[in-house]
Amino acid sequence: MSSIALASKEKRNERTDLPVRRRDARRIGQVENHDTLAAKLNNLKDGDTISVRVKRFDSSRDAEAHFESFAVPYSKWMRVLDVLIYISDELESDLSYRWYCGSKMCGTCAMRVNGREVLACWAAAEPEMTIEPLRNVPVVRDLTVDRQPYEQLVLSLTPWLERGSPYPGFPEPFTHKEMKLASKALDCISCLACYSACPVVGLGDVTNFAGPAPLVQVGQMALDRRDSMDRARDLIERAGIFSCVSCYRCEEVCPAEIPIVSGVIEPLKALAYKRLPEELPHQNAFLKIIRRRGRIDPSELVMRAQGLLLLRSLGRAIRLLLRGKIDPIRTLFGRPIQDMGHIRRMFHFFK
Amino acid sequence: MKFAYFAGCSAQSTCKELNASTRKVAEKLGLELLEYRSATCTGSREIRAVKPYLFLALNARMLAMAERDKLPLMTICNTCTLNFLDVIEMLEEDLNAREKVNNSLAEEGLEYRGTAVVKHFLWVLLEDIGEEKLRSMVTHPLTGLDIGAFYGCHITRPPAHYGFFDSRNNRAIERLNGILGCKSIDYSGRTECCGFHTAASEETVAIKLVGKHLKDAIDHGAAAIVTPCPLCHTVLDAFQSDMEKDLKTRLRVPIIHLPQLVGLALGLSPEELQMDRHMVPFNRKTLRRSVPIKEKRRDRKIDPAL
Repeated sequence: MSSIALASKEKRNERTDLPVRRRDARRIGQVENHDTLAAKLNNLKDGDTISVRVKRFDSSRDAEAHFESFAVPYSKWMRVLDVLIYISDELESDLSYRWYCGSKMCGTCAMRVNGREVLACWAAAEPEMTIEPLRNVPVVRDLTVDRQPYEQLVLSLTPWLERGSPYPGFPEPFTHKEMKLASKALDCISCLACYSACPVVGLGDVTNFAGPAPLVQVGQMALDRRDSMDRARDLIERAGIFSCVSCYRCEEVCPAEIPIVSGVIEPLKALAYKRLPEELPHQNAFLKIIRRRGRIDPSELVMRAQGLLLLRSLGRAIRLLLRGKIDPIRTLFGRPIQDMGHIRRMFHFFK
Repeated sequence: MKFAYFAGCSAQSTCKELNASTRKVAEKLGLELLEYRSATCTGSREIRAVKPYLFLALNARMLAMAERDKLPLMTICNTCTLNFLDVIEMLEEDLNAREKVNNSLAEEGLEYRGTAVVKHFLWVLLEDIGEEKLRSMVTHPLTGLDIGAFYGCHITRPPAHYGFFDSRNNRAIERLNGILGCKSIDYSGRTECCGFHTAASEETVAIKLVGKHLKDAIDHGAAAIVTPCPLCHTVLDAFQSDMEKDLKTRLRVPIIHLPQLVGLALGLSPEELQMDRHMVPFNRKTLRRSVPIKEKRRDRKIDPAL
């Protein structure tokens, strides 16, 4: 559908007081918040003024970052990158940002616009924009970030493929199914949008989670049928893969639309579990409890996953007990759900 | 209106009050709920990741039960909802997997055909009951109660299911708040992650992720936070005192389940909705503190007639 047709459809739906139709409730807010490209393009017309705030910082000179405001005249189809080019051509030649291809290929122009990671070359300009550099990586100057920590992290995770069997010659016989996950991961342009969006990476040293982008790089190799390297220990210890909280922030911002959580991180978790199940008490406890009870008993899960470390949070356990949030009698003597025999056979079936 | 009802593990253990209040509210709304006593866990993120086929089978089993009874399946947990939606999609895409899964279900006389409909309680309220009908049922508008919404991840992301370019644009709970008569507070953490899925082994992550958002919600004037997910509730409520220690500041903001908020507006009392079972209790005091009150002394005995 052309964007003009989209835009007119958008306009018809502009009224926000319309009743919610079937299957619409999960998208409430999309229209009133202009959450589509068509709506964004509708927001501005030729000759409008865009007000832009850019976060500026020079690591060799400034102690702290500050914001600088610019007014940029809008012209049709203007992207965030065009706004930046206008600023550096006409208003502030000193502004630093990185771009190369301008067409969603090189992955160098990722930045945060109004709190969301986008590629400057692919995002439409908005009437009001706050443009910041990516998070979780050091800033060199203004919107230019230092990619070296990320590149070193990727290097430490052996981002290459090791064949277990000799090369059979070209073409190698693959099915789509065999290459489904790896080929998705291969769409990655290393723009670091996901790395910046990840809340766990944002916590710094609290975990050793490598973050979505490095794991996608590993996934390109590890999820390829030809790879025979045992990556389980690296994934668990070096990449901290089980620290992923499955929040899907990475999938949301990925310009290559890679299903990072469900198509990369989870298959990598499966790979790690297959090789080293004994090192993953949380996952084992979960399976064990479902196999025995059919449902999760949180107290048992926490006890099995943490073991003696649980004593650290004894105070909380007592408070939870007082409110009836945990039920030791049920944990110890609770009966499993009905039809448990069938569930157990299901476990056996998919062993 | 009849629904197959899937409560999930959390609402039957740590958040029993969610199950109880959903049933009470459903009764008020005229929803008939059919609960399956043999319903299992949907596999959360753990089985989903490490045993993909078992994950498909566990979910397909419950979807097949709802299909058998020709009922839409109502959920009250974000993670369960997303698991069901994902399984529906995966079994649509991969017919070999569907066959394999159906082979394991055949023994129980079940077959998954791909016609199941899954709806979170929030969507049932807005789609099936409808805004107008719901508005007409509100007997006790929550005027003066300032509510911050905490969506949780799996009801607004991934974009493949919910279609948002930016998940922060979701306004479903705010829309509901409007119907119930309370004011919605905007704050930074509305659609952020609670960190539940690693909390059993790494609770520091959850504590550090959420504390700052609760602080922000309070700073913006939230008297309580409402969440559609019992997993978020567990982190926000049970770990709140740890967040206070981490931030070295007082939070004490009550976290309430979505059905409880609806229940209050429909005239059920906080006690009936078991709101005293929370670690940070929501009681008549909270309700009253949020509406402008005349007397200054807060520790005064609460008038039982209120």
